[in-house]
Amino acid sequence: MKLKIGISGINAVDNPGPGVGVAKSIKEDKELSAKIVGLSYDAMEPGNYMKWIIDKSYILPYPSADHNTYLNRLYYIRENYGLDFVMPVLDAELPLYLKYQKELEKNGIKTFLPTLEQFKLREKDKLEEVAKNIGIETPKSEVVNSYDELVKAVEKLGLPVMVKGVFYKAYRAYTVQEAVSFFNKIVAEWGYPVILQQVVSGEEMNVVAAGDGEGNSLGMIAIKKMWITELGKIWTGITIKNDNLLNSAKRFIEVYGWKGAFELECIVDLNNNKIYLIEINPRFPAWSYFSTGVGVNIASNIVRKAFDLPVKEYRDYPAGKLYIRYTDDFVVGIETFQKLITLGEN
Amino acid sequence: MNRLHQLAINDEGFIFDPLTGENFTVNRTGLFIINRLKEGKKEEEILQELIDEFNVSREVAERDLIDFLEKLKSYRII
Ligand SMILES: Nc1ncnc2c1ncn2[C@@H]1O[C@H](COP(=O)(O)OP(=O)(O)O)[C@@H](O)[C@H]1O
Ligand SMILES: [Mg+2]
Repeated sequence: MKLKIGISGINAVDNPGPGVGVAKSIKEDKELSAKIVGLSYDAMEPGNYMKWIIDKSYILPYPSADHNTYLNRLYYIRENYGLDFVMPVLDAELPLYLKYQKELEKNGIKTFLPTLEQFKLREKDKLEEVAKNIGIETPKSEVVNSYDELVKAVEKLGLPVMVKGVFYKAYRAYTVQEAVSFFNKIVAEWGYPVILQQVVSGEEMNVVAAGDGEGNSLGMIAIKKMWITELGKIWTGITIKNDNLLNSAKRFIEVYGWKGAFELECIVDLNNNKIYLIEINPRFPAWSYFSTGVGVNIASNIVRKAFDLPVKEYRDYPAGKLYIRYTDDFVVGIETFQKLITLGEN
Repeated sequence: MNRLHQLAINDEGFIFDPLTGENFTVNRTGLFIINRLKEGKKEEEILQELIDEFNVSREVAERDLIDFLEKLKSYRII
């Protein structure tokens, strides 16, 4: 089967997109012998030049622009090169792909994504309920919609306190003044509501996994962050075997019938044996190749499931494996860049 | 919580806890003690082995053992 798999987020920069790691994972499944179609938004995205991973590249219009233009671009790719499947990995794309997943499928492009209802679970004011249903905890939180509520929430939760948007941005405030200024910042950028959250301490541990939409896991691993960049991106990590953490990810898949890839970000308080759910990312994280590297190829399993190919069953993985991200450089001729600029593909 | 049984310990005294991802190193004496704890030996037994192995007085061995056990407790390993 020679599948053509479209993958976005091939911006392998200091704030790395998840795409290149996902592409590497799919390439490593030799039985798929897939061709990778890089879906980029800028000619300068490094993945466009990494021919050993990305076989063919296209520039796409932004997903925030007219949806028809976006879909037509995908149909153009399907007709001219082939596009059997798309794995969107960027937050900004997901709403569009979720909305049009049926239409895409009708037009011969498969995806493997959560339903809109499942997707909403990532909203941070829903985390408390999710955590409860999967047997873990969340830091105490207050949803605030005004200055008065903010002040009350700070009184209740104490300082320091986390000030968060429903989708993105998290700031740690040490004073009421700071909390107010972060509150204003988030409202200006993202609107209401804002979430105030108790600061919890512990080890930051994450799970990457995928559900098959029928309550089964397509593979998962748990890791601890060892070294992060200023942007909070994992640069080194280590695999761990924390059964409570892995079981909560399993329950997440079972309870919600989650379909597709996801990441759970948790803070684990080892002294009190508590796991706090901090964030659900409804897509692959940038470090997802880590799981493939320890023998759990989640990305290829998603493709297998989507095409009714035999799914691999992953029961175990080794703890104590290290993830090392590094930067590299190489030199290419100007032709690739030229083609991307003039034709929008290469 | 007893995490001792799950620890991965190498000959150089590098210890990795697969549950938490924590790692730390211990010296030769620490390694000697932790390996025996893992085998399920009692403190009194370990004390005698320390005296025999390292040729030290009972007082010195006892102090080292107690110090080390306290350390392990503070890291919630035993
Ligand atoms: N309640 C909390 N207590 C302590 N640290 C937190 C808390 N919430 C978030 N953090 C830290 O802030 C980071 C970003 O928070 P997160 O909710 O994941 O926002 P983002 O959408 O920016 O990723 C987390 O990875 C964690 O390191
Ligand atoms: Mg986060």
